[in-house]
Amino acid sequence: MHANWRFKEIVVMAALSVVFGVVYLAFLPVGKFLVGLFGPIGYDIIFGVWFLVSIIAAYIIRKPGAAFLSETIAAMVEVLIGSTAGPMLIIAGMVQGIGAEAVFASMRWKNYATWVLLLAGMGSAVTSFTYGYFMSGYAALATGYVVAMFVLRLISGAVIAGVGGKAIADGLAKTGVLASFALGKEQKRKDAA
Amino acid sequence: MYLQRLNPSIKACTVVLLIILLAFIFDPVTPMLMIFFTMFITLAFGKVRWKTYFLFFIPFSIFAFGMLWTTLIFQKPPTNAADTITVLWWSYPRESLLTALALSTRVLAVGSLSLLFIFTTNTIDFILSLIQQCKVPPKIAYGVLAGYRFLPMMRDEMKLVHAAHRIRGVNEAHSFWGKWKQYSRFAIPLLASAIRKAERTAMAMESKGFTGDRQRTYYKSFSVVLQDIGFLLLMVAAFAIAAYLSFLLGYFKWGAS
Repeated sequence: MHANWRFKEIVVMAALSVVFGVVYLAFLPVGKFLVGLFGPIGYDIIFGVWFLVSIIAAYIIRKPGAAFLSETIAAMVEVLIGSTAGPMLIIAGMVQGIGAEAVFASMRWKNYATWVLLLAGMGSAVTSFTYGYFMSGYAALATGYVVAMFVLRLISGAVIAGVGGKAIADGLAKTGVLASFALGKEQKRKDAA
Repeated sequence: MYLQRLNPSIKACTVVLLIILLAFIFDPVTPMLMIFFTMFITLAFGKVRWKTYFLFFIPFSIFAFGMLWTTLIFQKPPTNAADTITVLWWSYPRESLLTALALSTRVLAVGSLSLLFIFTTNTIDFILSLIQQCKVPPKIAYGVLAGYRFLPMMRDEMKLVHAAHRIRGVNEAHSFWGKWKQYSRFAIPLLASAIRKAERTAMAMESKGFTGDRQRTYYKSFSVVLQDIGFLLLMVAAFAIAAYLSFLLGYFKWGAS
């Protein structure tokens, strides 16, 4: 998966994951607060935040595995900094990453249009919800409530991770630091044309 | 025997395995017993301070409480609604109350298992052990370690960006919205500097001969010994005993009905 990756891309992806690991941790208390107010559905409103790095890394680097690996590393960083969720969080990160990765894979890692990024955010929502359904025992909740949770998470994944992630990555490309990465190169071609 | 001496990968596997097992349990007694056992093990063999331990436990308790009341309210209607329990002047169907308690004690049990890992594991050791035991490619693992080194620099970098903004006349924000806007202005410069640093680090590592090859030597090597397997078996046995005790008391429930 990582064989044709340049080492530079791996470290940059890791750096992005570290930054977002911190962001994810910062949003955990926000999520917990919302859960205290609205119940488990509180998390779903902002769940897209936790998919951001896979969208951003995949959009910038455009290689197979970027979405999956970056999300996994971000989860690992959360554990390393001392998230109280423990090693189980790494599994949760992998599950989220697989959702986005599957969408990029279905495009053969060639198409990074806005609608694909939206779909990738929703892909993470689908896998993470399936995982949560099993691990957090949503089966015990009323069906209507579970459906509402799922719909909210899909929207959050598409809007926060898809639209938001694209905005952040495009902003970064404008600064010129991505000149040697796929996104920066694409931008250069567009400017030249 | 200290928990710190155990192989980090095996410890992580044990914790993950137990959390998966707990996901099948829908009665409150099994997770409750697991909480007590895990807490005992952590405090007795983990060289962990009581105060810090319980401080870290607070967020789980809040989360568990949220889980408790929402499960009580948003649950599927119970099959036997006439069978009620009265707690503090309110009466709940017995079945709903037990499921709600089961889900919230599960949160706490997962919490105690996670704390066992967090408090007794060294970060770098965990990653090195992941390369050596779990066959994570060194190219990725060392990339992560390099990225991880940026973490302490982030705070300085943030101060720098902050100062740079101020010197260009961006005023200090005081309202909640203002603060939010201020932090979002930090996002791009912070990420940009992280990317620049990462690029430079990668080049430096490669120029010094890092290839990411699996045939390499390690400063610290880890292996799996008998006591690691012992720990795994002990924890699984504790789970089995907890489930059996719960069965004897007539509470045991496997899977949501």
